[in-house]
Formats: sequence, C-alpha cells, structure tokens
Amino acid sequence: SSREILAAPSVRKFARESGVFLGNVIPTGPNGKILREDVERFLAGADHAQ
Amino acid sequence: MVVGELTEEVDVLVIGAGPGGYVAAIRAAQLGKSVTVVDKADLGGVCLNRGCIPSKALISAAHHYEAAKTSPYPGVETTATLDFSKVQAWKQTVVEKMTGGVKTLLKGNKINVIQGEVFFSKPDEARVMTETEGHSYRFNHCIIATGSRPIELRSIPFSKRVISSDEALSFDQVPESLIVIGGGYIGIELGQTFAKFGAKVTILEGTDSILPLFEPQLSRLVLRNLKKYDVDVVTKAMAKSVEEDETGVTLTYALGEETHTVRASYVLVTVGRRPNTEELGLDTIGIKLTDKGLIEVDEKCRTSVQNIYAIGDIVPGAALAHKASYEGKVAAEVIAGHESVVDYRCIPAVVFSDPEIATVGLSEADAKAENKEVSVGRFPYAANGRAVALNADEGFVKLIADKKSGLLLGAQVIGAEASNLIAELALAIELGATLEDVALTIHAHPTLGEMVMESAEVALGSPIHVVVR
Ligand SMILES: Cc1cc2nc3c(=O)[nH]c(=O)nc-3n(C[C@H](O)[C@H](O)[C@H](O)COP(=O)(O)OP(=O)(O)OC[C@H]3O[C@@H](n4cnc5c(N)ncnc54)[C@H](O)[C@@H]3O)c2cc1C
Repeated sequence: SSREILAAPSVRKFARESGVFLGNVIPTGPNGKILREDVERFLAGADHAQ
Repeated sequence: MVVGELTEEVDVLVIGAGPGGYVAAIRAAQLGKSVTVVDKADLGGVCLNRGCIPSKALISAAHHYEAAKTSPYPGVETTATLDFSKVQAWKQTVVEKMTGGVKTLLKGNKINVIQGEVFFSKPDEARVMTETEGHSYRFNHCIIATGSRPIELRSIPFSKRVISSDEALSFDQVPESLIVIGGGYIGIELGQTFAKFGAKVTILEGTDSILPLFEPQLSRLVLRNLKKYDVDVVTKAMAKSVEEDETGVTLTYALGEETHTVRASYVLVTVGRRPNTEELGLDTIGIKLTDKGLIEVDEKCRTSVQNIYAIGDIVPGAALAHKASYEGKVAAEVIAGHESVVDYRCIPAVVFSDPEIATVGLSEADAKAENKEVSVGRFPYAANGRAVALNADEGFVKLIADKKSGLLLGAQVIGAEASNLIAELALAIELGATLEDVALTIHAHPTLGEMVMESAEVALGSPIHVVVR
C-alpha cells in the first residue's frame, strides 16, 4: 500500500523543479517526512528507493 | 468595424482582474512576461468590489454597533447610534482604497490594463469590445479568470425587491425587514449583519441546517447567536414564489406539505454562484467544460486548449478568493516555464459569522469516512484567559490528528478571531506537523493562540487548563 508522501511546501517545490518524484525519495525526517537533504541525496544518486 | 483592422500582438493576456486575474498578471510580470489585463468592470473583481472586502467592512461596522449597544464590559456605559449612509460611505472608501491599490500594483509592474469585454474568436485570438470600439488581440498565452455571478431562482427572479448580494451590499438604508433565501456563508454573513443593524431577518434554508457544509457543532453556535438577534431561521424550507408591491414582497415557501408566506421589505437570494463561462465563446475554440459548466483544467491550470489557462471561480474547487490567487500564481509560473502545479494539502475556509467559523483540512467526520483512526483535542474559549478578558468566551478549537503518527489532519475553530487562528493550523498541516510539534511550540500568554497549543495537549491527553476525565 502507498504511504502518504509528507514534505513541506518548499521541499515539494524543490523536488518538482529538480524533476524528482517524491515517492522515490527515502525520507529521513520525523514521521517519515522528506527533507530537502533527502531530495539532494537522491539527486546526487546516492539514494535508490525501491 | 474598420476593414483591414490591425490585430495587436500580446504575450500574456489575462481576462478578468479579480483575485485570480490580478495576482496572475502581477506574478507573470514579475517573471519577465509582458502582460495585458482586460476587465469589463472594476479592477479587483467580485472580491474587492462586491464580495469579501465590502461584506467584511459592513460586518465589522455592524459588530461594533451591536457591541456598543449592549456594552459587554460592566462599568463601561455606551450608547450607539447609527447613520447607515455614513457606514456605506466608509465602506466605499475601503473598497476604493483596495481597488486603487490593485491599480497601483498593476501599473507598478508595467502591466497594460484595458477596460472591455473579451470573447475568443480563435484559439490564439480574442476580441475586446470597449465602450466605443472593438480590437483583436493575438496572444501567446491566455489566463481566463472571469469569476462568477449570483444564481437567479427561476421562480423568484431578480427585481427591484428581489436582490442578490451585490445590491444588499449597497443598500442606502437598513431595510426594515429582509428574507434571505439560502443559509450558506454569504446568506448567513449578510443576514446576521443586517439583523445587527436592526432589520427583522428571516433565513430560509433548503437543507436541514444552516451552513450545511460545516459540522453541526459549528453551525449550532451561529444559530444560537442568530436567535439572539431575533432572526427567524427556517430549515427544510423551499421558496416557491414571490409577489412584489410598492412597499415590499410576500414570499411563499413550502415546509413539507405545508405552505407558508412571509412578508418583508426585500428578498435576498444567496443560493449559490454561477461561473462566467457562457459569453466568452469558449465553444468556438473548443475549451472543454465539466457538466457543471466549469472549465476543465489540469494540475497546471491548463485548459484543453494549449496556451489557455483557467483559474478561480470558473474552475472546480472551493469558490474562494485565496484559492483563485493561488491558482493565478501557478498559471503565471507555468507560463514562465516554471515547474509549478496546484499542490496543497489543505485550504482554509472562513465564515465571518458571529461567532466566526474557520476550518482547514479534514473534519472528524471526513477522517472517519476515510477510515482513519484519529485523536481529537478540543479546547473551549471559556478556559482561555485572553478570551474571557475579551468577553468572548464562546467557542472552541478542535484538532483532528492521525492516532498513530500524531500527524495533524484538520482543525476547526469557532469563536472570536477564528479567521486569524486558522492560519497557524494551515501552516502546521502543510509542514506535516504533529500534535507534539504544536504542543511544544511556546505560544504567547495571554493570547487566543494558546488554545491551539492546549487543544493539541488535550489530544495528547495532558492539558494544563482543562481536566482530563
Ligand atoms: C458577498 C460575497 C462575499 C464573499 N466573501 C468572501 C470571503 O470572505 N473570502 C473569500 O475567500 N471569498 C469570498 N467571496 C468569494 C470571492 O469573491 C470569489 O471567490 C473571488 O472573487 C473569485 O475570484 P476570481 O478572480 O475567480 O473572479 P472574480 O472576482 O469574480 O473576478 C472576475 C472578473 O472578471 C471580469 N469579467 C468577467 N467576464 C469578463 C469578460 N468576458 N471580459 C472581461 N472581463 C470579464 C469581471 O468583471 C470580474 O472583475 C465572496 C463572494 C461574495 C459574492
């Protein structure tokens, strides 16, 4: 089942502008929140979620 | 028409200068676009001229008048007198200040403003009819923001004494009596306001409760207050017909099997609003509409015609000014090549009734309908020092959170300044805050905002200022 994608508005915007689908990013914030760093890590290619 | 008339080229054409259109125009200009805005009436649209701003001005004047009549502070004796024409003149200055501000902003952003009525002739061309002439404009991008207008009841058509919110906002004197058909937020706001100014008000609502879009716990407090101002509220009432004479109107309505009549100086019809999509020539260029006559848009506010966008009251979703403005920014940013989309977790809704109602996100019933297990925290105004000192101890703050994660899902506030309190809760939901995040944020004392913190503590089972049973 799909977990809810949780991220602050600015992080959602950053992901959108970077062409990143948040569903692919591994969250490290509290309550499964995706942080800007998580998106940056994904962009750097260090992160590959299933 | 002149033969061989020139077609002007424009980059971004915005149709309508309401909260959707003027915000879209400014954002597009900020992003370097050359923008032309056309409105057939006044800058600021419904919201500034015939909606949000004038209604709130009258509401606050009525509130002040009422509060002064019966000073809520023992030892402070006041007398209230009303010169309604001066109230109206003041309201008009408020409107003019705000619309003047829009004009200045458009000018400051070097936006070309035209007064005229627009309709499409081709998918990349629109005709603008001004008072004296017609002009064609070829555009690269267009944003349609033509808004909405009051719905007329077929059996009770608008006339001198059957009026819409437009006319009610510009009464030159307080009507002796007023029948309001439709107990939604506009009907309640205006009905309550004129009751406070001294009109005998009757509200007829078709469903079984006023403010049917809000939970009964919320509408009940407003209902109680309406009765204080001697407002008759008739629910499950279907207005049937009206007879008008020199001095007033007699309205016939059905209540189940029975037929009743009620007489008043005016009937105010506030049963809803209709999108201004008919006279734009949308069919000639093939823009798709939904079955409700709204323009179909995607998450970038794009219509079915490439390069034409639509925002505000003419597209699906809540017909609210802040939603129109949000979409205006999205459309402008998309046109400027940004990756913007309509992407919000919640959108606050406010009723400027007495007491005020403000909601955001899921209600308890919504959450349960989605099979979510929730924690709920409710904190009464009566236990908040600031509220009591304000003589405003009526109401509550209610938070709805996911039981397991504590994630805030929704909030409802009824009471003084609910309209301002809701902003913190909308931010909390957008940021993915939990009950603990809210509870651990220090709120200044004594303020109404503390109720937000305390209702989070109630939900967590450890409030200080109420006893958990
Ligand atoms: C009494 C009342 C109170 C309200 N109070 C609130 C409130 O407190 N908070 C809130 O959020 N919302 C409130 N609303 C709703 C709010 O006014 C609307 O949601 C908002 O104005 C929608 O903005 P818009 O930009 O979509 O359109 P509008 O504000 O309707 O503006 C559309 C503009 O387009 C122009 N136009 C239309 N057709 C054409 C055409 N063919 N050519 C050129 N120009 C055209 C019109 O002249 C108008 O200026 C209230 C509404 C009413 C009636």
